[in-house]
Amino acid sequence: MLKKIRMWFEVRIGLDDLIKTKVLDYRIPKNINIFYTLGFIAMIAYAVQAVTGILLFIYYIPHPDHAFRSVQDIMTKVPYGWLFRQMHVVGSNLMITVAILHMITVFLMGNYKRPRELTWFGGALSLLFTITFGFSGYLLPWTQLSYWATTVVTSIPTALPVIGEPIAHILKGGDHVTASTLSRFFALHVAILPPLFLTLMGIHLFLINRIGISATPFGIVDEEKRPLTEYKRKIHPDGYPYYPSFFQKQMYMMMGYFAVMFFIITFFPTMFFPDEANTPADPFRTPSQIRPAWYLLAPYQLMKLIPNKFFGITLMAILAAIFLLWPFLDTYREKNVLKRPVLRGVFMFLLITWVVLLFWGRT
Amino acid sequence: MKRRRFLQTFLAFLGSITLFSFVNSLVRFLAAIPTRPTEAKKIFIRKNEIPSGGVRTIIYNNIPAIIINRPDKGFIAFSRECTHLGCLVEYDHGKQRLICPCHAGSYDLEGAVISGPPPKPLTAIPLKIEGENLVIG
Repeated sequence: MLKKIRMWFEVRIGLDDLIKTKVLDYRIPKNINIFYTLGFIAMIAYAVQAVTGILLFIYYIPHPDHAFRSVQDIMTKVPYGWLFRQMHVVGSNLMITVAILHMITVFLMGNYKRPRELTWFGGALSLLFTITFGFSGYLLPWTQLSYWATTVVTSIPTALPVIGEPIAHILKGGDHVTASTLSRFFALHVAILPPLFLTLMGIHLFLINRIGISATPFGIVDEEKRPLTEYKRKIHPDGYPYYPSFFQKQMYMMMGYFAVMFFIITFFPTMFFPDEANTPADPFRTPSQIRPAWYLLAPYQLMKLIPNKFFGITLMAILAAIFLLWPFLDTYREKNVLKRPVLRGVFMFLLITWVVLLFWGRT
Repeated sequence: MKRRRFLQTFLAFLGSITLFSFVNSLVRFLAAIPTRPTEAKKIFIRKNEIPSGGVRTIIYNNIPAIIINRPDKGFIAFSRECTHLGCLVEYDHGKQRLICPCHAGSYDLEGAVISGPPPKPLTAIPLKIEGENLVIG
């Protein structure tokens, strides 16, 4: 029976040839490491979010009068609703964590350098999209936490002269966070961002495939310092086959991802649910401890520290632009970060600053 | 002008009109539904309901507001929306200040910024005394 099914596909799509060329004969660099699996894990994380998000969609009601109640019903009345919501909430935080780790490892291995500038740009843009996913989903439960965190974030653009107020108005659908805002964020979360994100992912994967996987810069002669005069796909004829060696690494990391997710759900179920996340939104009372999700805590703290709102938002926009366009700014050809003390120092400074701001923002 | 060049220019012209029309419509579509400005309803509160040093929170014209009875200077009303990022300020009786819980901006009882990131004073709300009543609005 299985043979028949296999033959059915073989005569139609050339299954054997596909497996041979794309899996068995597909070579990856010999010095590839476990961190190369993080992009794949990020995709698994996105898939988990899509599946659990669609399930939550069945019971969620995007209206201020019903949103909080419907989410509470998912958690307490719908069979296993708590599980899928926990997977979605914990998964969203893990997804952003994995995406950040992926960007850090790509940065440290210099894999953003030419000819992979566009691959970095697509990946960095995906990270910003991922954060927008998290931010837009934050409002949907219509809790005190989500309401006031959204009020704060949607007011940030008002610092910009001329265009600031209209942008904030479009984001909120009015002067305040209301039912219009909830509708907009719901549309953004479930209908606008997913196709944009999938398109971006498609381009990102196409570029990775078209340009070829980059080897790590450690312990090898870096041939990519050659002048870039023509397109040449990077291949690794003396590398390891993708299957089984790298495939096993991916499966290993994927199970690690799910183990972390279910460990948090089982032993720390309230990790992402402070008290304000279980209180219905009250537009006439700001809670005393209001703060956004952890991935927005560093910019949130920065906004606290910089007295001038315009300067604060301009600084954040400049940092985001540097992050997106980094490969075009760092044109030095040496990929090995161990041979670049200044870059290493700047990276450590930024990482420590980010961590300090994050923890400072929590207090 | 050669025919080919003319067609290229004309195509760019048509494309620009289409793009401009679409973007204009999209921006107008995304902007909130315009609401007709309505006159805010006046609120009447008896003076003796707010003792000296006391405060009372109200909703004025759909905006959370606060009335403060300052010990020496009498009544004053403000919007509670912090001018920084829109969180609602709370009255701190001990410090006699209005404090924003989000970014710790603080205002004095005139609504002026004392410290923190707020860029401008709290928005004052018209208040007058008519006999034994406070009239807000």
